[in-house]
Amino acid sequence: MQIAVSGGKGGTGKSTVAINLAIALREHYDLVLADLDVEAPNDHLLLGVELANEEPVELFMPRFDYGKCTRCRKCAEVCEEHAIITMRDGTPFLMPNLCSGCAACEIVCPVPGAILPGKKLMGHTYLTETPYGFPLVTGRLLEGEERAMPIVSRAKKRAQGLEKELLMVDTAAGTSNTVSKALEDSRLIIAVIEPTPLGIHDGELILRLAKLMEVPAMVVVNRSDLGEVAKVREIAEKYGAEVIAEIPYSENIIRSYVEGKPIVLTDYPEAGLFREIASRVVEFLGGGE
Amino acid sequence: MQLVIASGKGGVGKSTVTASLLYLLKDEYRFVAVDADADAPNLDLLLGVERWEEERELIGAKVARINTESCIRCGICQERCPYDCIKVIDGDYVVSELTCEGCNVCGLVCPVPGTISLDEVRSGVVRKTTTRYGFPLISAQLDVGRPNSGKLVTEEKEWAKKLMGELGIEHMVVDSAAGIGCQVIASIGGADLTILVAEPTPASLSDVRRAYKVVQHFRQPAYLIINKADFNPGFTALREWAEAEGIPILGEIPYDRAIPRSMSMLKPFVEAFPDSKAADAMREIAGRVREEILK
Ligand code: SF4
Ligand code: SF4
Ligand code: SF4
Ligand code: SF4
Repeated sequence: MQIAVSGGKGGTGKSTVAINLAIALREHYDLVLADLDVEAPNDHLLLGVELANEEPVELFMPRFDYGKCTRCRKCAEVCEEHAIITMRDGTPFLMPNLCSGCAACEIVCPVPGAILPGKKLMGHTYLTETPYGFPLVTGRLLEGEERAMPIVSRAKKRAQGLEKELLMVDTAAGTSNTVSKALEDSRLIIAVIEPTPLGIHDGELILRLAKLMEVPAMVVVNRSDLGEVAKVREIAEKYGAEVIAEIPYSENIIRSYVEGKPIVLTDYPEAGLFREIASRVVEFLGGGE
Repeated sequence: MQLVIASGKGGVGKSTVTASLLYLLKDEYRFVAVDADADAPNLDLLLGVERWEEERELIGAKVARINTESCIRCGICQERCPYDCIKVIDGDYVVSELTCEGCNVCGLVCPVPGTISLDEVRSGVVRKTTTRYGFPLISAQLDVGRPNSGKLVTEEKEWAKKLMGELGIEHMVVDSAAGIGCQVIASIGGADLTILVAEPTPASLSDVRRAYKVVQHFRQPAYLIINKADFNPGFTALREWAEAEGIPILGEIPYDRAIPRSMSMLKPFVEAFPDSKAADAMREIAGRVREEILK
């Protein structure tokens, strides 16, 4: 089964919640954490590990055999990304940056062998053991590449392939379709929301997405003393989500972060907050030991 | 001049720095501000915008739909969708509308003509207003679950350029999205230079390095502003990296409670707390932007 940690806005402490929750949950489930914030993956930094077991994510990219191509332009017509331009005589050219690798052009090309399956590297996935008894799968988009979707989808598959009892995904910020891809199949979404006007604005979007996807959501209010928690409760209620924890702004959390020691493993009082979140999750999911 | 402010990832104070910089420069320069974070726009909130003067819907995203009446449930579409967007629900093949990329591969491989259609849907809105500070702001909001399209950002920049022409404005200041994906590439592409904002943490350093690679890809000069500069005194790697890459540091802003408080007041912190130490640092940065960048 799968759960997700998400939060509309960047920098709300989503990754901090994700790694601490994963550490707390390892006592209940055999789990894997997947960092699907492929544009800025940071869970490994917070867990103090170096990414390992790199696998490339390559996409299809058409190459034209101009000896065979009849210049019928079908490939250019079908390309939804307008990645293929044609010369006046119909000769197709690819603009690689626009190509999404969907292979629609190859499907419609009437001449066998006129389009050859080239490949382009989009990014990587990693499978890293952590000192905390669960593996971390990370997706990482290559700088200069635009498309996060294939990386999210491959990293998620790699994590699913480990067939753990619990897959916990940490998503990117925002509510675009790469976030929905990460959230898909979740039994529960934990939305990390800051009680500031900006945090609430963005938090509402993620709750709306959860509702659209028909996934139950729980809310963790982060830096709860920097704004009005009542307003977060209001939007949570509007979307039928329960506020399960309030984490105040804490020097201890920052210190533990800087020292690379997850707060849940310290004696600071904040550790208890994360253990509590974990027990609410276990209660909701049922099962586990 | 087209100037971009980027950070690699959200949450390091990029938009608060942008709002304050705009506030400090507004009397001397004429510019259009563009909020290119269509996924989670917030410059309007930080600048106290209450209404939009003009809104345009952006139709452009495409989503596949399967007609269950004519579908023969052969499963070919599911097998061939490059992004795993087709599910079987109660025996029916269904496109997951919130993840579909609209590539039409399913439509091409389906053996029953007319069963799969590719429908245009709204991807979001682009909108314009004049802020209470006098300069125009262009912003966008992507609809939930839509492809995170750089097209929205391109549309915003185009509108901004048109305004510049109409109003005789010289500069465009773009507050880029988080990440390094299509929105960021659309922000940085075509700009003259990028100001990076980062905080002294390993995560922020990792993110800003990635953003800098995008800047390098477009062969643009970059500058750095260090936010929450005193937040992690032992961490020198950010400054060392900037030095090694030859990225000039425009200034350092100390951690200051005035910043989160100003955000709740929906005002740039230099306006809300002009006597704070963060505001002092920001004025110094604005001075350098004046002298070294805008001249
Ligand atoms: S693979 Fe898809 S996006 Fe790329 S050129 Fe072919 S049709 Fe266009
Ligand atoms: S569809 Fe095939 S034959 Fe036609 S122009 Fe494209 S590559 Fe050439
Ligand atoms: S349009 Fe493309 S992404 Fe959408 S369901 Fe069809 S094959 Fe999948
Ligand atoms: S390919 Fe066409 S007929 Fe086959 S399952 Fe998909 S929609 Fe139905």
